[in-house]
Amino acid sequence: MLAYLDAASGSLIVQAIVAGAAGAAVFLKLGWRRITSPFRRRATAEVGEPDER
Amino acid sequence: MSDLELEPASFRDPASTVAYLDGRVLRGLTKEGAADFDTLAAAPFFEKAMAEGRLVRTTQVPLEDLPQSVRGDAWVRALEHERIPFVSYPYEWTFSMLKDAALVHLDLLLASLGADLTMKDGYAYNLAFVGARPVFIDVGSFERVRPGEPWAGYRQFCQTMLYPLLLQAHKDLRFQPWLRGQVQGIPPQDLAKLFTGTDRLKPGVLKHVALHGAMDQRYSKSRAQDTQKELKEAGFSTELQKATASAIRKLVAKLDWGRSASEWKDYQRTSTYTDAEREIKAAFVEQALQGKGAKLVFDLGGNDGTYSRVAARHADYVVCADGDDLVLDGLYRSLRQEGNQKVLPAYLDLSDPSPGLGWRGRERAGFFDRARPDGVLALALLHHLAITGNVPLAELVDWLHALGGRLVVEFVDPTDPMADRLLANKPAGMHSDYRREVFERLLEARFDLVERQEFPSGTRTLYHATPRR
Repeated sequence: MLAYLDAASGSLIVQAIVAGAAGAAVFLKLGWRRITSPFRRRATAEVGEPDER
Repeated sequence: MSDLELEPASFRDPASTVAYLDGRVLRGLTKEGAADFDTLAAAPFFEKAMAEGRLVRTTQVPLEDLPQSVRGDAWVRALEHERIPFVSYPYEWTFSMLKDAALVHLDLLLASLGADLTMKDGYAYNLAFVGARPVFIDVGSFERVRPGEPWAGYRQFCQTMLYPLLLQAHKDLRFQPWLRGQVQGIPPQDLAKLFTGTDRLKPGVLKHVALHGAMDQRYSKSRAQDTQKELKEAGFSTELQKATASAIRKLVAKLDWGRSASEWKDYQRTSTYTDAEREIKAAFVEQALQGKGAKLVFDLGGNDGTYSRVAARHADYVVCADGDDLVLDGLYRSLRQEGNQKVLPAYLDLSDPSPGLGWRGRERAGFFDRARPDGVLALALLHHLAITGNVPLAELVDWLHALGGRLVVEFVDPTDPMADRLLANKPAGMHSDYRREVFERLLEARFDLVERQEFPSGTRTLYHATPRR
């Protein structure tokens, strides 16, 4: 859920870096998930998740 | 008949609305807003922050007490807040004021995160000053925390508080024109262009400006809802939101405007006024305001606040407005040290005062539209506006009359060294109508003269006058 302010993705993601070492781990994991997400999305689509596009 | 007015800036957050009713400050909450408030009211820091004066005094009032026209359909709860004597906006604050306000905002965010709450925004306008005391006024900002989410107000905090502080601390650039230029502050990508080369090594710049700006650009097309979900899945937690807030607090606490501390002391040493002149003026102001029961006094061109302090002995509240932010910053820091809650320093160029800003130009009212003073001091001011600013004397007297309050004004004769110095910058004869007899004629046409006193030097005269209706 988002607050009433217009949230910007860049401003959300950079907070992981601001948060220090533990946040950096989240940031790296997020990057990894983004790189691998096309494969995961395909895998879940195969088991019947409706395709948005 | 009740006099109801909705706060023009209170429309962005649908959960909470501020309205004024017969001088009372009321806040209506929707069901969502009321649930957030209940969590806040139960939090241990709530009472403490109010007692310490960092959070606006807030009480619940029965909804039924309010007329239906005030209540609206969406309100399920009503709150009443302590009234702030005069609300000044962030572009009227000095560096130290913005810094202290930012620290209060962050302290309350950190306290919230320890009590299942967070803040839905990070806005400089969430704060106001009572004298030298910063107070958080937007109780509607607190909301129940949702695990796995970063701080929704981070971007706004950067734009309206952190970036203005970084501009002044690292580049010695005044932040006020930037905030006055855009009520939502400075966007990350704009500031990133200003901080180049070794600037990036200065505290806070790499992460909050350079990286933030780059990320903002890189992810401008991403959907925030998706990003939030991804962050949660990657392990973002409330603990991390706390770590973010702590890191920002640590950064803000060490930001300093180098010039402020050093040049303030020089100013006090090099002031042109003699002690005798100061005493004459102080006694004159004292006599003009004594026993008059003034609620609000504007000390225009109030400089180091000497006469604001005198006025504050006889008035409920004094706004010391001046266009020298260095002097005002020094004044603020000394008022803060004294715990003064009656004199408010306000950074204002009187020849170009803050206009109405934001939506329809009404969200943030112009400086002189916010309140009507019942006392006005204009000491050693008019010669600056008349000679340097080229404002005709008739215009100046008309303006002072329109302010509506009892007036204490000083006229500095063209032969006075200070006026002479200003005249030397202008073509000879350009201000030939800048003369005491012209001023007196204009003054007496609009005001009733109560008292007139000439300085021993013969080049300065003080007038106490009341506006004729």
